Amino acid sequence: MAPNQQGDAFPLTRHSVVAAAQAHDPQERVRALDAITSAYWRPVYKYVRLRWRLEREDAEDFTQDFFSRLLEKDFLASYDPAKGKLRTFLRTCIDRLFLNQTRDAHRQKRGNAAVHVSLDFEEAEHELAASTQAGSPKDYFEKDYFEKEWVRTLFALAVERLRAQCQLAGKTMQVTLFERYDLGDAEERPSYAALAQEFNIAVTDVTNYLAFARREFRRCVLQQLREMTGSDEEFKREAQSLLGVEPK
Amino acid sequence: MTNKIVLGLVLGGILGILDGLTAWFTPAVRSGIVGIVIGSTMKGVIAGIMIGVFARKVNSLALGIVFGLAVGAFLAWIIAFMQHGYYFQIMLPGAMVGLIVGYATQKYGATSQPQRA
Amino acid sequence: MKFLPDQVVARLQTEMQTPDLSGTRYRALKFLGRGGMGSVWLAADAVLHRSVALKVLSAESSSADLAARLMLEAIILARLEHPGIVPVHDAGTLPDGRTFYCMKYVEGHMLEQHVGGLGLRQRLQLIQRIAEPLAFAHSRGIIHRDLKPQNIMVGAFGEVLIMDWGLAKVMAAFSESIPAGQAEGQEPARAMQGPLQSVALASGNTTAHGSVLGTPGYMAPEQERGDVNLIDQRTDVFGLGSILQSAIQDKTGAQRSEPLSRPLWAICNKATAAEMSARYSSVQELADDLGRYLDDMAVSAYQENLFERTVRLVNRNRVAVVLVLAYLLMRMLFILFSRK
Repeated sequence: MAPNQQGDAFPLTRHSVVAAAQAHDPQERVRALDAITSAYWRPVYKYVRLRWRLEREDAEDFTQDFFSRLLEKDFLASYDPAKGKLRTFLRTCIDRLFLNQTRDAHRQKRGNAAVHVSLDFEEAEHELAASTQAGSPKDYFEKDYFEKEWVRTLFALAVERLRAQCQLAGKTMQVTLFERYDLGDAEERPSYAALAQEFNIAVTDVTNYLAFARREFRRCVLQQLREMTGSDEEFKREAQSLLGVEPK
Repeated sequence: MTNKIVLGLVLGGILGILDGLTAWFTPAVRSGIVGIVIGSTMKGVIAGIMIGVFARKVNSLALGIVFGLAVGAFLAWIIAFMQHGYYFQIMLPGAMVGLIVGYATQKYGATSQPQRA
Repeated sequence: MKFLPDQVVARLQTEMQTPDLSGTRYRALKFLGRGGMGSVWLAADAVLHRSVALKVLSAESSSADLAARLMLEAIILARLEHPGIVPVHDAGTLPDGRTFYCMKYVEGHMLEQHVGGLGLRQRLQLIQRIAEPLAFAHSRGIIHRDLKPQNIMVGAFGEVLIMDWGLAKVMAAFSESIPAGQAEGQEPARAMQGPLQSVALASGNTTAHGSVLGTPGYMAPEQERGDVNLIDQRTDVFGLGSILQSAIQDKTGAQRSEPLSRPLWAICNKATAAEMSARYSSVQELADDLGRYLDDMAVSAYQENLFERTVRLVNRNRVAVVLVLAYLLMRMLFILFSRK
């Protein structure tokens, strides 16, 4: 699906992705579930690889199975925003599904007909290797691993959104500088002067372009966050948490 | 709060009367009790006025006490000198009255002038 | 999709939290904490070369209503020029769309950190000093509504400052310019409204009935009930009374090792009475009663019996009593010895 003018690949008419996933309009429901899938499949895959120590092929099957069930079994109907965050609910569903399948010794290889989002497991596997560095992945599992991967995916999708929006608006220099400076390795990070020289622009332009890109990135994060939270209340809490303020 | 001079005058007078009246317990001087009371009252009033004036000029509790003590003792000494005796019995209470008046005028007297550093 | 390593995620998260100050005269230095509607940052003022504190709305996705409230807070602070109220220097909108205001950076301690090393007398004197800026604010028609130890700072020079006026209420009866020829019986509320009241109304700073604004444990009962129409300066009397109660107890919240006197408890109870009519009518009254207590005089909150009054007077005039007793003792000894 081509992005719209705001760079949204899956524009939703409702603020809450959960509400959209339960809409009467089947297209709206599919779009919402695709938004959830896009946002969560990487954390799910990496989580089951590390938490339950699934082999790669089993983890791929499980991930596809999980999101297929999300659509067919209407898991989200039992989600109550008042009781917790959407990601906590999904993580609980993952654990429950895994334990049920293990208990029943029933893990089918399912088709991914219900999943419209492209699941690049190869890329996910490389990311897993990069984040766990040397050694067996099981040694690097942390209690809040799912949450950390959630934040990583949120930012990564926001970067994609920013890139799409800037390209549509003809502001490619801004996003290029942002990727070079803010997304680069700390040890290889160029200075503003170096960037100015490289792109043949003034240093003040580097400052202004980066400021623009950061502002837009922030906006993209908040837009993306709306699609990854279950309610307006959860969105506000997560926004405040990400912006450094603990919710009351 | 009462004016310092008035406070000194009144308190000195009252204590002077009381001071004079206690002379009744000394049989040797009991016959001249009226004169003693009048004299003691005047002594108290004069001491009170002097201490009150001092308190208006000098705003210091310590100095007020010392001045009161000195004035009370001095005036009592004059009385004792005139009596040709009873120096201890007259000067000690007189000094204490002066001390009390000195304390009271500094502590409870109204300040009419701005305090100087 | 580009993979973001942990260090990049952490860096982006920090950048998200830091307010965008590009194009302004400020440079963010350190996150100080959360206050009311937003976060507070230590910043450097590049023009005047001094440290300032910036209060920034926490998320621009918040409604325009919150932005207006923050701006109203800045306006209120700007109008309350008092040594005990943190001064505001600047206000506006950041390049990232967030509303902010700039205020004095107070180097010091919060009240609860400061009182730990103080004796009872000093704590009571501190409470008296909190009453001064509050009384000033009330005279300008501003009710704080969120008094608690965390909103009181003691500066480096011992000055007391009341912070976080984010929940402050502008009383409807106070206006900037009341017509000189106001007819008798005409309520001031109907008079021409000044700029402050206009901003308050325009920003939606009219708390809906039933809204509960304040901090549990320090909120007056009328605040807990949401009776916004009843809120007046006595609401702040309750808040100050709650601060007084917490200040005279030790850190664990237990009673002090020596029991507090009845007049002092009576002052606390009167300040924190559930019924508004039973409280002090102003913070100045509360401060005056504390002053009387500190001077060993009778307090309005407590009815002494004859014995208590006598003990208090003797206590207050200890030296005089000792001197008189010494004089009488001396006189008695003279009488005894003269009989022998």
